[in-house]
Amino acid sequence: MGEHSFLPGHRHGGGVLDRLGEGLLAALRHGLEADDLARRPGLLQGLDPRVKLAGALALMLMAVWVRTLPVLAALLGLAAGLALVSQVPLARLMRQVWLGVLAFTGLLALPALVLVPGRVLFHLPLLSWPVTLQGLRSAAFLVGRAETSASYGLLLILCTPWPHLLKSLRLLRVPLVLVVILGMTHRYIFLLLHSAVDLVEARRSRAVGPLPPRERRRLVTGAAGELLGRALDLGGEAHLAMIARGFGGEIHLLDDFRLRTRDGAALAGLALTLVAAWWWGGR
Amino acid sequence: MTALFDLNDVHYAYRDTPALTGLSLAVEAGRRVALLGANGSGKSTLLRVLDGLYFPDSGTVTAFGAPLTRQALADEATAFAFRRRVGYVFQNADIQLFNPTVFDELAFGPLQLGLPRAEIRHKVEEALVRFDLAALRDRAPHRLSGGEKKRVALASVLILEPDVLLMDEPTAALDPRSAGEIIALLAALQDSGRTVITATHDLDSLAAIADLAVVLQDGRVAAQGPVADILADHALLARTRLLKPHADLR
Ligand SMILES: Nc1ncnc2c1ncn2[C@@H]1O[C@H](COP(=O)(O)OP(=O)(O)OP(=O)(O)O)[C@@H](O)[C@H]1O
Ligand SMILES: [Mg+2]
Repeated sequence: MGEHSFLPGHRHGGGVLDRLGEGLLAALRHGLEADDLARRPGLLQGLDPRVKLAGALALMLMAVWVRTLPVLAALLGLAAGLALVSQVPLARLMRQVWLGVLAFTGLLALPALVLVPGRVLFHLPLLSWPVTLQGLRSAAFLVGRAETSASYGLLLILCTPWPHLLKSLRLLRVPLVLVVILGMTHRYIFLLLHSAVDLVEARRSRAVGPLPPRERRRLVTGAAGELLGRALDLGGEAHLAMIARGFGGEIHLLDDFRLRTRDGAALAGLALTLVAAWWWGGR
Repeated sequence: MTALFDLNDVHYAYRDTPALTGLSLAVEAGRRVALLGANGSGKSTLLRVLDGLYFPDSGTVTAFGAPLTRQALADEATAFAFRRRVGYVFQNADIQLFNPTVFDELAFGPLQLGLPRAEIRHKVEEALVRFDLAALRDRAPHRLSGGEKKRVALASVLILEPDVLLMDEPTAALDPRSAGEIIALLAALQDSGRTVITATHDLDSLAAIADLAVVLQDGRVAAQGPVADILADHALLARTRLLKPHADLR
């Protein structure tokens, strides 16, 4: 299986299969990049995973709790700043989180614009529905909170090697079953992506000419079903391979996590941030 | 001589597909055995039964003189001892490799088996050199070439110094040079006194990696004997679809 065996597809009319293939390949490439980011030298990468996990959780909760927009904006700004000093490209954060979350929560927030009663700011053109200040505020909170929490979540995942994250979850007393399931999910997704790319390439290399739409739909649904079956097989295999090497559920790592001075500094910074956010963001 | 593995009338089916159909086989300690057989003859299934990953629907499996059953392996101490003694290299290296770096990949097995940390570091450093992986030490295993992945997979199992090594088509899908490197590593195990059981289609390198050959057909043992004898029996090889009809060996 080779992630590099991909030949740039010729686009016969930009078929569904092609687009499916490209989406999957892009996803796969991101998955691989994530591993690389975790090993780059950067601020977050150098911190103890437990500190990162606790910090990300605390900041996510704080983002949900704050009641003033400027503080929420500051928290989002802090996430962007942390990304910068940890070599996470902002463009990536924007693509993977900000746009996606905006599209999703924006949709949920839209009704709030007009449904929340209050001081009318302006009327929507054409429909002449009133947009209220209060409506705008609650929409901004909804989107802002989601954006900020998601940013911290992604930063945590991008800047921490997966096994370390799993181990810190265990140290924070997350139940073993849950951690194992998370671990397997990660493997499933990875193998699934590999499998998907293979499958799409194989189908594509066999499709000589443009297919009639009906035939195409059949191919895509067939591919999806087969993919699921394969993912389950591969995930099962991966689990067997772990058992064969002595894995009994608990994850053991070579390095014991060690709190260093910079972790202390990070914790102090975190505490300051939380207190400041609580002080200014409390009402 | 007592057998290390003793299988008696083993049946195993994947839902409706029978894979092993009354297989009986004894493997003595220190032997190097090749499992031959056409696609679907049950080689991989047999390896998984030997590794205590699958348990037969009927029939008995004995390993190291004790029954190898689900109940036996449910006991932590037994499982620990068994996993230390038996290593399994899967056919698909991608499945076996999931750690962030080659170094971590090699350390995974010893860590799960609870060896002392200092010893693990030492062993990993040694293995990196022995398997010519030192330059790949900090690379992500899933981004290596097929041959390199296979070497990592092999190293990640051999680092546990198992008494028994089970391998599923270690040279399949490798280019001749990478396959040659793997064969050389396996041939070097010859004097280690290990029991090595290899499923393979590669008749050319058979003599380098095995003394005995077991031919499977439809989930049963069709023939077994010294590698040279089996290779000379063209009628058998043709019958079990290991040779093209009318092909000559070399
Ligand atoms: N996961 C599975 N689900 C269902 N049937 C399976 C599964 N794996 C193998 N089989 C079936 O079991 C039988 C034996 O398969 P097995 O993989 O053991 O053969 P093999 O000798 O290893 O073949 P190959 O040389 O192709 O690797 C085959 O008929 C196969 O179709
Ligand atoms: Mg097989």
